[in-house]
Amino acid sequence: MKRVLLVVILALMVCVPAAILILLYHLPLDTRDPSPEQPIAFSHRLHAGDYGIDCRYCHRGVEVSPVAGIPPVATCQSCHMFIASDRQEIVKLLDYAERKQPIPWVRVYDLPEHVYFPHMMHIRAELSCSKCHDDVTSMDRIRRSVSLKMGWCLGCHRENQASIDCWTCHI
Amino acid sequence: MKRRTFLKLAGMTSASVAITGCQKSNEKLIPFLVPPEDGSIAGLADYYASTCRQCPAGCGILVRISEGRAKKIEGNPMHPVNRGRLCARGQAALQQLYHPDRIRQPMKRTGPRGSGQFSNISWDEALSSFIEPLNRLRENQKTGRLALITPPLNGSLAELTGRFMDAFGSSQHLAWDLLSPEWLERGSKASYGRGVIPDYDLENTQYVLSFGADFLETHLSPVRYARDFGAMRQARPTIRGRFTYAGARMSMTAASADRWLATRPGTEGLLALGLARELLVSGRYDRQALLSAGISVQELESLLAEVHPHRITEVTGISHKAFMATASDLASIRPAVIMAGESVAWQTNGLEAVKAIQLLNLMTGSIDRTGGVFLPQAKSLKRESSFAELKDFVTRLQEERFDLALVWQSNPVYTTPPSLGLKDALNKVPFLISFATFMDDTTRQADLILPDHADLESWGDVVPDRGIRSMVIGLQQPVVKPLYDTRPFPEVMLNVARQLGEDIAAALPWESYPEMLKESIQRRVMTEESDDIATVWSRIQQQGGWFVQAAEAAPPVAQNSQLPDLSNARFRGDAQTFPLHLHVYLSPTFTDGRGAHLPWLQQLPDPLSTAVWGSWVEINPATAKSRGIRQGDLVEVSSPAGSFQLPAVIYPGIHPEVLAIPIGQGHQGYGRYADQRGVNPLQILTTEADDTHNLPAWGATRVQLRQIAKDGELVTAGHPEGSYRRDILGI
Repeated sequence: MKRVLLVVILALMVCVPAAILILLYHLPLDTRDPSPEQPIAFSHRLHAGDYGIDCRYCHRGVEVSPVAGIPPVATCQSCHMFIASDRQEIVKLLDYAERKQPIPWVRVYDLPEHVYFPHMMHIRAELSCSKCHDDVTSMDRIRRSVSLKMGWCLGCHRENQASIDCWTCHI
Repeated sequence: MKRRTFLKLAGMTSASVAITGCQKSNEKLIPFLVPPEDGSIAGLADYYASTCRQCPAGCGILVRISEGRAKKIEGNPMHPVNRGRLCARGQAALQQLYHPDRIRQPMKRTGPRGSGQFSNISWDEALSSFIEPLNRLRENQKTGRLALITPPLNGSLAELTGRFMDAFGSSQHLAWDLLSPEWLERGSKASYGRGVIPDYDLENTQYVLSFGADFLETHLSPVRYARDFGAMRQARPTIRGRFTYAGARMSMTAASADRWLATRPGTEGLLALGLARELLVSGRYDRQALLSAGISVQELESLLAEVHPHRITEVTGISHKAFMATASDLASIRPAVIMAGESVAWQTNGLEAVKAIQLLNLMTGSIDRTGGVFLPQAKSLKRESSFAELKDFVTRLQEERFDLALVWQSNPVYTTPPSLGLKDALNKVPFLISFATFMDDTTRQADLILPDHADLESWGDVVPDRGIRSMVIGLQQPVVKPLYDTRPFPEVMLNVARQLGEDIAAALPWESYPEMLKESIQRRVMTEESDDIATVWSRIQQQGGWFVQAAEAAPPVAQNSQLPDLSNARFRGDAQTFPLHLHVYLSPTFTDGRGAHLPWLQQLPDPLSTAVWGSWVEINPATAKSRGIRQGDLVEVSSPAGSFQLPAVIYPGIHPEVLAIPIGQGHQGYGRYADQRGVNPLQILTTEADDTHNLPAWGATRVQLRQIAKDGELVTAGHPEGSYRRDILGI
């Protein structure tokens, strides 16, 4: 009897934490805002959609660097010195430039520190930006529509026969 | 551990993991305001080649820059001095850049001298308060009352300061530091006929005999020698070079030796003569080499007649067996390198002992041969002051013969013992200007501070004159934009020269220091180059310097080698009252104390005692036992010149009559990490000089030792409490 009890307890000690971990992974514990309000209401729909400006005009590092990069304030300023410089949001932008302060954009796509995600390799594999970032040309404010969980990464890696070795991303 | 505690801990751990695993809020993405001009891309690192300035060896470095910030320093594989290696001091140079205690803008003194009270001023005000006294000196025809204090200089800075001082009309440029191998240059002059720093070919040798030369830590070019030592031991398939070390303390270098001879301080020269006698008796010496050096066998025989093995063992304290074994190694293994180090030279018979050691190189025929000792060409554009000039300078200070003194990157208040009187004498100068990057012991005495850039923000050139025989010009180039409102010393001097006008402006006609640097390097290298200057300069910038791989032709040894005239070392202090010798040595982590402000180096455990964040005194177990001293006790070390208290480390690797304390700690005003930490052993040294040659004898002080208390607050990496004792460190 005692032995049965011991086995049950041991099994529980293994199963319960495992169950908790599985539960934690699936519970909607990610409280980050998928579409946070930004310091300036920059519209991707307008710039990338209506005007058709190439993504790489602003996100310059995307083909060579692990990070795509956020444009320097000077890049925004170079156009908006003259274009629509009286609009409320542009005034905010020029204000930042005037005060020599970078714009504190709010991060939408964020991976944990133990994941290495290189943009350039995915661009080299001819993946479209919209595969992960959805159709930004129709978004006024950027909204994250993908989960960014490991299962989601692996799904795409399997689909495209990319490596699913642990060391591919967790280096 | 109780079951209950275990469960509590387990619960808390899993809860905290679960909670921190959730991201609560979105992070910020901060872009550049203006993109960097060099075209660097976010997320990709850039590498710049430059030169390390942490010690005079001049190793090449590669600095990794991410988004305009220096992140990591490694050795430059193309640089012939260090060939990709770098020591801890070089790696820690990064902390010099980001140090919280950097001087960020010009300051002038507000409180009394030495109080450390300064207030910030603008560069305009600072420059005018610099130029005004210069102008006054010129008007009153007292230009000789200007003094300049720097470390030994070479390359374009030697040229710049030389031209400035000449044009201004002052000859008082003191370029001295504690590491200065004046003793070695003078020894080489006497023994080999050429006053240069010998280059030891450790890589290809079969046998190394080092007399107190800690070449793996601080001696001349430690990174180069450490690399070559590794090659000597392990890079050749069937050959493993042998290594014997003679000296009073087992340093890290000595700990790497096959045999350690624990000599009494000041007797190393005699040991060398004893070995020379054994070579002579056995007949296994290079007669031809002796002949070409102008030494006759008869002369040698009469010099060595008295140094019998039994006398050697009696005086030096080493065993007969060890002596004979060393003599037999020296007689049978070729090629051999015999090195003399600081602890031998810092005695009252230092230079003669060095000559005795160098005689062994002549007898083994090691000069100018692979695996032996090479004598490089003397480096031009070099400015270095002797110890005699230092003493003369102090006398001039005491006689109040200066109105204005400029100090750049030199900390003589720390690196000279108070018994020399430099600190008090410096206070007699009415106006003292420091060009320091950090507040230090000397800058604290200054009236005006015109802060210099950190090394990683500066231009410069380094011509390594030690550990290398080929011609090398290391380029130091800025790898990041200056963080603060600082200006480089040479730039300020050029600016001032322009403002002073007339002949001084004519002597220094350059618009900026980088322009002068480029021209100066161009002048030195273009004779050897067939490419145009633009190609050469861009290659120099890319590689971090100008390197010629082929060794220079070795010139013949002079015909008039002087034989040593060795006397017994004298020591200050009565042998009854002060029964022990004080062995001061350059710290493997701080060199002469210049690295003590960097917390990485403070945290780096000493290789032998594992002590961190403080000073300690090494005591032989027998000496400690007779005084009832145990590991970690607080003891007092006193000499005729003073005393201090510090924790004891019981260390079997030291001669029973010797106490050892590293130089490097005990600063007054060197930033939050070094200030008032540990002791400076130079504080209790008496200023003795070599009997006949006017060289410093920092090892000639006798001390006494007594126990003060049980807990000396010794902090070691291997502390029984398993931590670095944060309660004691306060860090």
